[in-house]
Amino acid sequence: MDQHKFKYFFTRRLNFLFGIFIFIFAILLIKIFYLQVIKFEDYSSLAQNNSLKIVPIPPIRGQILDVNGEILAENKLVYTLELDPKKNTDLKIVKQQLTNIVKITKYDLKKYSKTLSESHYSTTLPIKSNLTDVQVAKFVANKYKYPEIFLKHKFARSYPKEKSGAHFIGYLNRINKKDIKKLKKLKQYENYIGTDHIGKTGVEYFYENRLHGQPGYKALEVDAHNKVIRVIETVEPIHGEDITLNIDYKLQQVAEKAFGKYKGAMVALNPNNGAVLAYVSQPSFNSNLFINGIDETNWKRLNDSNHKPLINRVVSGLYPPGSTLKPFVALAALENNIRRPPFSIIDKGFYTMPNQSKTFKDWKKGGHGEVDLIKAIAVSCDTFFYGLGVELGIPKLNIVLKRFGFGEKTNIDIPNEKSGLIASVEWKKEKYNKKWYQGETAITAIGQGYTLTTPIQLALATAKLINSDNNLRPHMLKKFNAPDFMYEDEINLSGNDTDNLNLIKEGMSLVTKEGGTAAFIGRTTSYDISAKTGTAQVFGLKKGEIYDETKLPDKLKDHALFIAFAPSKNPRLVMAIVVENGGHGGSTAGPIAKKIFDAYLNEIK
Amino acid sequence: MNKFIPYRLFKNIDKILMSLLLLLLLIGLITLTSASQQDFNLIGNQIINILIGMGLLIILSLIDPKRFLFYAPYLYLISLILLLFVAFFGFQSHGAKRWINILFFNLQPSEIIKISIPLMLAWLYHRFQNKINYKTHTLAFFILLVPCVMILKQPDLGTAILISLAGFIIIFLAGLSLKFIAISGFGIFLALPYLWSNLHLYQQNRILSLIDPGRDPLGTGYHSIQSMIAIGSGGFLGKGWSYGGQTQLDFLPETSTDFIFSVFGEEFGFIGIIGIFIIYFCILYRCVYMAQKMQNTFSRLITASLVFTLFSSIFVNIAMVSGLTPIVGAPLPFISYGGTSMVVSLAMIGIIMSLHFHKSLIAN
Repeated sequence: MDQHKFKYFFTRRLNFLFGIFIFIFAILLIKIFYLQVIKFEDYSSLAQNNSLKIVPIPPIRGQILDVNGEILAENKLVYTLELDPKKNTDLKIVKQQLTNIVKITKYDLKKYSKTLSESHYSTTLPIKSNLTDVQVAKFVANKYKYPEIFLKHKFARSYPKEKSGAHFIGYLNRINKKDIKKLKKLKQYENYIGTDHIGKTGVEYFYENRLHGQPGYKALEVDAHNKVIRVIETVEPIHGEDITLNIDYKLQQVAEKAFGKYKGAMVALNPNNGAVLAYVSQPSFNSNLFINGIDETNWKRLNDSNHKPLINRVVSGLYPPGSTLKPFVALAALENNIRRPPFSIIDKGFYTMPNQSKTFKDWKKGGHGEVDLIKAIAVSCDTFFYGLGVELGIPKLNIVLKRFGFGEKTNIDIPNEKSGLIASVEWKKEKYNKKWYQGETAITAIGQGYTLTTPIQLALATAKLINSDNNLRPHMLKKFNAPDFMYEDEINLSGNDTDNLNLIKEGMSLVTKEGGTAAFIGRTTSYDISAKTGTAQVFGLKKGEIYDETKLPDKLKDHALFIAFAPSKNPRLVMAIVVENGGHGGSTAGPIAKKIFDAYLNEIK
Repeated sequence: MNKFIPYRLFKNIDKILMSLLLLLLLIGLITLTSASQQDFNLIGNQIINILIGMGLLIILSLIDPKRFLFYAPYLYLISLILLLFVAFFGFQSHGAKRWINILFFNLQPSEIIKISIPLMLAWLYHRFQNKINYKTHTLAFFILLVPCVMILKQPDLGTAILISLAGFIIIFLAGLSLKFIAISGFGIFLALPYLWSNLHLYQQNRILSLIDPGRDPLGTGYHSIQSMIAIGSGGFLGKGWSYGGQTQLDFLPETSTDFIFSVFGEEFGFIGIIGIFIIYFCILYRCVYMAQKMQNTFSRLITASLVFTLFSSIFVNIAMVSGLTPIVGAPLPFISYGGTSMVVSLAMIGIIMSLHFHKSLIAN
C-alpha cells in the first residue's frame, strides 16, 4: 500500500469516524435537552421532593372536665423508647441491649409487632412506654450505645378517675385499619397524620372532632442523610378543644359508692334541660388499660366476665321496664278516659280475663282491696293494670309510650345507644309470625312481656312527665347545641293534659309515702320524692311455682328498677336506676336513689 | 529569540488547542469548587494534578516523535507488567482492584494503557506499513486483547470497552477490510449471550437498571436517577454556581469525580452544557484537523486513536450521567477530579502536539 493510497484511505475513514462523533454528540445533546428543557418540571419537583420533608406536629387532645372543672381525661407527658421500623432492627438485640435499663417483656414485643402491623403513617413506633425518670436518665447516659433506639416524649391520654365514669368518658386506642377506612371516607384522614390514637367509646368517641384538633406541620429541608438543613415553614397545630360535661363528679362518686357491689345502671338528669348529672354503669373497668392496646389477659378478664363490665348499661343495657312503665300506661288510660278516678276496682289478688277462665296474679297475695288509679300507682297494683290494659288495647297504649320516647333512641351524645322495643300486634306478626294474645296485652300493661327499655330511656321518659319541652334530650356536654335530628314520629308533649299528669304525679308521690312500695325511703327525707318501683323477671316461673328470692341463685334473681324525681313540687333531679338481680325495686334500688337525692338536694346545692 | 528559554519551551505548543484546554480546565476548577462543597484541600490537589499534567504535556510536545516510535514496545511491556502488578499487589476500592501504590501516589495502570496501546499499534502498523495484511491485523488484535482481558478481570468493564474500541479504531484506520468488520460484528452479536453470562452480577444489574432505572431506586438505579434529577432540575439556565440542591445536599454521589458533569448541568443548565460541548467539539476537531495534516502512518494512527480515546471518555461519562448508558466508573477528561486521568489526558494532547509540530521529521 503506497502512502498516497493510504492517506486517501485514512482520510476517508477518519472523516467517517468524525461523522460518527458528531452524530453521537447530537444524541447526547438531545438527551440532555430532553432532561433539562422538556422534562424540566418533572425533575424539578423530584429534586424538591428529594430534599423536602414534612414532619407532622400532632395537636394536643382536649381535656374532658366535669361541670366544676374536675379533670376526667387529661394528657400526661410520657417517655417512650421507639424503633424505626424501616431499619428492621433485630428485636432480640434491642431486648438484650436494654436489659440494664428497662425490661422488654414478651408482651412489649407482641404489642410492638401489633402496632407495626396497624401503623398508618411512617414514623418510629414504641417498644416500651411509660418509662420512669430513672429509666430515662439511664438511657440518656448510655444513648450513644443505641443508635437505633430513640427516646421520645409525647402526650399520652390518662384517665385519673380510672374505673370511675369509664363508660361515659370512654377511652382512646391506637388507630387501626378500620378507623383509617372510616377517616378516609369522612375525608378526615389528613387530620390524623401524626396522630396515633382515636376515641373508641363514650364521649371520647362522640366528641372526637372537637377533642382532636388539627395537626400542624414543619416543612424541613434535609440532605441525603436525612439531616435537617433548615426549617422552611412551620404551621402550628390547632389543639383540641377542652370539653366540659354536665356530669357533677361529686354526685357521680356518691352514685358509684351507693351502688356498691351491685351490677346495673343509674342515670340522673336535670329535668329542666336534660343535662346528665351522673352516669353509672356497673361493674366498670379501668380505661387506662386500653390506651395503648389492652393486653390479652386483661382483655379476656373483662370480655369473658359474666358481669360484662364492658357493656355500657345506661345506653346499651336492655331491660323489661316492669312496673316503672305503669305511670305511662296510666296516663294512656286517662287520655282515653278509661278508669279515671273516682273509678275503682276491688282487688282480690288476681285478674280474670274477660270471657276466659285464665287468671293473672297480683304481686301481693290477697290483693290490695279497693284500688283507684292513684292508689294503683302507689301500691303498684297489678290487678288494676291488667284490666286497664285489656280495656285500653295495645295501639292506644303505644301512642303514649312513643310520645315518651320508648322504643326509640334518646339520641344522647354517647355512642352505641340501643332503641329498646315497644311490642305490637304487627311487630309480633312480622317477627315471630304469631298471633297476639289478649293475655299479652294484660302483662304488657304491667311492663312485662316484650317491652324492653334502656335506663336512659326510662330517665328521659320520667323527665318528660315534668318538662313538656318537645326537644328535651339527655346530653353529656355542657354547652350543647342539639344537632338537627328527627324523631321517627312527631312528638308533641304539649298535648299532655296537665290534670292527667297531676293525677299520675300524685300517684308517684304516694309511692314514698306510708303504704307505697318505697315508703321506707320517704320516711327520713326532708323533701318529697316521687317515684315508681319496678321488678323485672329474669327467670320465668313454671306454673304453680312460687318465687322465693332466698332460694334462687343471684343471676336468676329479678332486676330491681326505680324511676324517681325530687323534690316532688319543683323537681331538680330525675333518675332511673336498674339494679341487676337486685330483687324487688323498692328495697335495693330505692336506697341507692335516696343517697343520690340526699347528696344532690342537701349537700351539693 | 531561540535562547529565550520560555519561548523554546512553548514553541511546540499549538496555541488554539492550548487556549481551549485552559478554558476547559478553568471551568473544571470552578465546577469542582462547587461540587466538592468548597473543599480547598481537594482543589489544591487538582491544581497540582493540572500542573503535573501540563509539565508532562510540555515535555512530550518537545520530544522527537521518533522516540515515541522507539519506546512504544517498551512502554507497552511496562504497562502489561503494571497490570500484572495490579492483579497481584493492587489494592481494592469500591469492589474493584484497579490501583497500585507507588511511593506517594496511587497509580491506575488502566489509564496508562490508554496511551501505550495506541503507541504500540501505531508502531506495529508503521513498521509493516508497506505490507499490511491479515497477519498484521491478527497481531494487532492480539496486542489489544491481552491488556483488555486483564482490565476486564479487575473488573473494569468501562475502561476495557473504551480501550478495545480505541485499539479497534487504529485497526480500522489501518485498513481492516470492511468485509471482515461486518463478519466479526455479526460474530460478536452471536456471542453476546455468552458474554452476558460472563459479566459480574453488578455489571449485569447496571445494564438492566439502564433499561428501567425506576425499578430499584435505592439499588443500582439510584445513582442514575439522582444524576438525571440533578441535570433535569438544572433546566435551561441552571440553578447557579453552588446552588445545586442535588449536589449540595449530597443526593448526588461522587460529585467531584464521575458525576461532576451532573453538578455542572444542575448549576449551569442547558446553556452551560452547550458551552462545554462546543469547547470539547473544538478540541476534538482541532486534533482531527492536525491528524489530517500529518505525513506518516505512525503519527496519523496515534493521533486518531488518542482523539477517539478522549472522545469516548467524554461520551461514556456524559452518557452515563445523563442516563443513556449504565453507570461505569469513568471520569470526565479535563474536568473530573483525579490525578491519573488528568495527567494522562494532558499527556495525550502533548503527544499529539509533538506529532503535529514534527510532522515533517519522520520521513517515510
